[in-house]
Amino acid sequence: MTTATTSTRSAPPRRRKKDDTKLALLFIAPATVGLLAFLVWPLLTGIYYSFTEYTTLTPPQWIGFENYQAMFADPVFWNSLKVTVLYVLINIGVQTAVALVIAVLMQRLTQSTLLRSLVLAPYLVSNVVAAIVFLWILDTQLGIFNIFLQWIGFDPIAFWANETWVIPTVALVNVWRHMGYTALLLFAGLQAIPGHLYEAARTEGAGEITLFRRITLPLLRPILALVLIMTIIGSFQVFDTISVTTQGGPADSSRVLQMYIYQNAFAEYEFGYASALSVALLVILMIVTFTQYWLTRAGQSDLD
Amino acid sequence: MSIKSTTTPHPARSGAVSRRRLLQGSAALAAGAAGAGTLSACGGAQAPAGATEIDYWLWDALQLPAYSAAIDRFMEHNPDVFVRITQLGWDDYWTKLTASFVAEAGPDAFADHLARFPEFVRLGVIAPLDGLGPLDEVPAERFQEGLQELWTGQDGKRYGIPKDYDTIAIMYDRNMLAEEGLSPEDLEGLDWNPQDGGTFEQLLARLTLDTEGRRGDQEGFDPTSIARYGLAADPGIDYTGQTSWSPFALSTGWTFTDEDTWGRSFNYDDDRFIDTMDWYFGLVDKGFFPAFGTFGDSSPSQAQLQSGASALATVGSWMITTFANMEGMDLGIANLPAGPVGTPVSMFNGLGDSISAQSDNKEEAARLIAFLASDEAQTIIGERAPFFPSTDAGTETAIASYAEAGLDVTPFTDRVANGETGLYPLVENSASISSIMQTAFDQCWMRQIDGADFASFNDRVNALFD
Amino acid sequence: MTTAPHPVTDEVREPGPAGARSGERTITRARRGIPWGRILAWVVMVIFLLITLFPFYWMLRTALSSNTALATDPASLLPVGLNTGGFERVFGMQDVETAIAQGGSGASINFWRYLLNSVIVATTVTIVQTFSCAMAAYAFSRLRWRGRETVFLIFLGSLMIPQIFTLLPNFILIKNLGLVDTLLGIMLPTLFISSFAIFFLRQFFNNISREVEEAALIDGASKVRVFFTLVLPMSSAPLATLALLTYMTAWNEYFWSLMVSYTDQSRVLTVALGVFRAQAPGTGPDWSGLMAATLVAAAPMLILFALFAKKIVNSIGFSGIK
Repeated sequence: MTTATTSTRSAPPRRRKKDDTKLALLFIAPATVGLLAFLVWPLLTGIYYSFTEYTTLTPPQWIGFENYQAMFADPVFWNSLKVTVLYVLINIGVQTAVALVIAVLMQRLTQSTLLRSLVLAPYLVSNVVAAIVFLWILDTQLGIFNIFLQWIGFDPIAFWANETWVIPTVALVNVWRHMGYTALLLFAGLQAIPGHLYEAARTEGAGEITLFRRITLPLLRPILALVLIMTIIGSFQVFDTISVTTQGGPADSSRVLQMYIYQNAFAEYEFGYASALSVALLVILMIVTFTQYWLTRAGQSDLD
Repeated sequence: MSIKSTTTPHPARSGAVSRRRLLQGSAALAAGAAGAGTLSACGGAQAPAGATEIDYWLWDALQLPAYSAAIDRFMEHNPDVFVRITQLGWDDYWTKLTASFVAEAGPDAFADHLARFPEFVRLGVIAPLDGLGPLDEVPAERFQEGLQELWTGQDGKRYGIPKDYDTIAIMYDRNMLAEEGLSPEDLEGLDWNPQDGGTFEQLLARLTLDTEGRRGDQEGFDPTSIARYGLAADPGIDYTGQTSWSPFALSTGWTFTDEDTWGRSFNYDDDRFIDTMDWYFGLVDKGFFPAFGTFGDSSPSQAQLQSGASALATVGSWMITTFANMEGMDLGIANLPAGPVGTPVSMFNGLGDSISAQSDNKEEAARLIAFLASDEAQTIIGERAPFFPSTDAGTETAIASYAEAGLDVTPFTDRVANGETGLYPLVENSASISSIMQTAFDQCWMRQIDGADFASFNDRVNALFD
Repeated sequence: MTTAPHPVTDEVREPGPAGARSGERTITRARRGIPWGRILAWVVMVIFLLITLFPFYWMLRTALSSNTALATDPASLLPVGLNTGGFERVFGMQDVETAIAQGGSGASINFWRYLLNSVIVATTVTIVQTFSCAMAAYAFSRLRWRGRETVFLIFLGSLMIPQIFTLLPNFILIKNLGLVDTLLGIMLPTLFISSFAIFFLRQFFNNISREVEEAALIDGASKVRVFFTLVLPMSSAPLATLALLTYMTAWNEYFWSLMVSYTDQSRVLTVALGVFRAQAPGTGPDWSGLMAATLVAAAPMLILFALFAKKIVNSIGFSGIK
């Protein structure tokens, strides 16, 4: 991020180097009100609840670190963490790769607006509905995809009910919904790469693959990092798809962290414990995000 | 979804009508247009000035027309009360109910479920009904036997007034049976036991087909490649086994807990239960029952029967309408097989109406749910109900209206009439029990564990009550 | 994520470069003979498109099928028992008896009311939020004040707050403000703030040529005027993109709207069409109604998209996010 904005450039003499604090406060006021009331305040109460025994419907009672101790000793928590990380790895890995391919193809093959609109179409469908549609398409017996698999000579696969398949399935359904959106963001980054770099490389006889490795990837790194940060934050919070399709089954194999949090809060009325789990999720997200920032900064020199 | 009057008197609620309408698209359109007029007119229904407005919530959209008709009648009798009805799907219903209790923005009265109400009692969000308005004049005897008991707390107070009940029976497609050269009579008088499955298992074998067209009771039958399973699987096999294993386990004389209601010790380690699990999920190995995951949430048992993927299904009475409407199927209903106790045994469950402890209008809410339990309301409900109302009058009306549509539903109601029922497990900690036991049932269905392995899960469940 | 000055950062990069590129491609093609690489690339692209679009076809096919006949022919690529009952239910044109007989629910649908509510919510949120976030992004990008980076990091950090934290406290707040069952109550939490929007816009503002801005300032314009007359117009493309994304998010919002809405007066389309999902355990959804509902709910977005596609899609081709 940009701390260096003003200092690095050789700007013309700044006559108006005055402090803008008042104006700035005015400009951020509406957003700040929203932030404090609807994000920061709930966050603080949530952190407070994580130190309490709170059954959602009766007043919270302070119990110190008991929820956290219980969490660290809770095998379901550790399992859900494992499942979530597996989900994020598959989801983000495939999604980024596919989006990158689509973005590069769009850039190299065609400027068609229609095409670009079409790839964004799945994003128009909500998570819940996307899940329901695929629940059916991938049904073991009656799903058209399994009927197709049988037609080409494979055995049907219980995508939603097989412990090995269920997380990849959920991950890929969400790839379907987000790949076009991600591709468009990456496409934006590609458009920013100066065309003359490609020409220069090509005159030296480089093929498409070399171009991609030597020019596209390194120069795309900053936007790739931004996209990764946004999508990983979203991916860790996967809930809708699983809530609609498997409810965490079979036998805990798709019980991701958000699902476990939700079940604690709304089915078992353990809001204190659910809050502690949420704090854990928040901490994980912060570690992942700030690590990424750090890595991105380290890689910035490629650009300029 | 605030419906006020959707009660254009339609005498029929039969599948025949629907099919005719489907064929005549234009007729359906015309009817639709007529319906649209009424609906938009009532969308903005407002409470008349001076009337007390109360909120009533329920989740089952199929029950909505019946209840809004009854509630319309209630408002005719009680012009000082205006009832606002909200209907939400099952999952959303409980989430929103919880959140609205937290924010004290919940309904005054609402449809409640046995798996939920113990927690609500513990958290103090539903009110004891004794002494509220006319509710003391609604005796337990008014309802089918045992129903009020299900809605009574450990303190002996009532927390819900029974609104309907449900039981389990066997459903099948008569066309399929005829093609197999069998008649509905062949489904009567069957017996079952956990050792060899009795004549019921023989029938399952008879109705199972492998992909080469061999029946389950024929030489060379391949249990790994099945075209039609003898018994359909409901994707949600849970700790109650309501529409799956419970008819079998209960017919061995097994009970869920040490007490009829509010038990504190589960019997998932009892030999009769263990044998039943080994038999029930053992059907997978024999090819008579789908392996885990064969049918997902999107192909429930009605779809399995309709598509010819399964032959028989153990089904709850609340599904009668759904099954009867399945196209290309001629629905047949049969009794459950008689178990080792000598008779069939069905789980017996019922929904109730509860009143929120936060309500400022408990008196009016009490009048409403007392009315819903009256013969007048139960008859209105029974006429259009896709389920059995809780009183005798309501049940008789429902049986008659099903008979009019050509459906004999007595395999459901006989269980209650003959006292061949076992109560739904009314216990505390149901959410925790559910999540512990789900793993066990999933794994047993996946054939990873045996019935005997349920004992360790049973210990974990019982530890919840220490 | 750098802000070091970039030589060419014009927002309006018109066909110029694209034209140049396609010209160069012609040359490459001529040089290589049969362009196997390009054929392969097109094949891959078409496969991705099929994967993207097939589920939409399946929704349409299901929406036009008869609910009660669906399972009889799961392999049929055409509608099973072709009829428009699903769409009739979505528009509330079927009476309850017919709806139930066709596998729908007994709930009534006041479609146009919900559509209007959704339009009001999504439009208001989009306009107010985009404007509020643009102001904040400008403050974080171009104004000089102490604590700027720290405050910005706090905003960014709020992206990571799990939804479960905010749900109940926000609902209680809305209740205490007396806004339960109002459209304002649905809009309020996201009306002024989206950290993503601030983040996104800030990247663009960082890129606007500083010289232009300084020139205006030297001419005596105030920073407020620079913001309104220079920065906003110059960022119209990214603003349009952001507005579309915001609109889509607001349109598809389900859970929060479900909490706040109690009656038709505040019921938005997504919540209302939730009635096509399974209403009771085991009954299964009203497939044809649900799929029709999905297509109908997505239609306004598709129309919006068709109208603005050129502008927006090209603006995503900004040289912007760095």
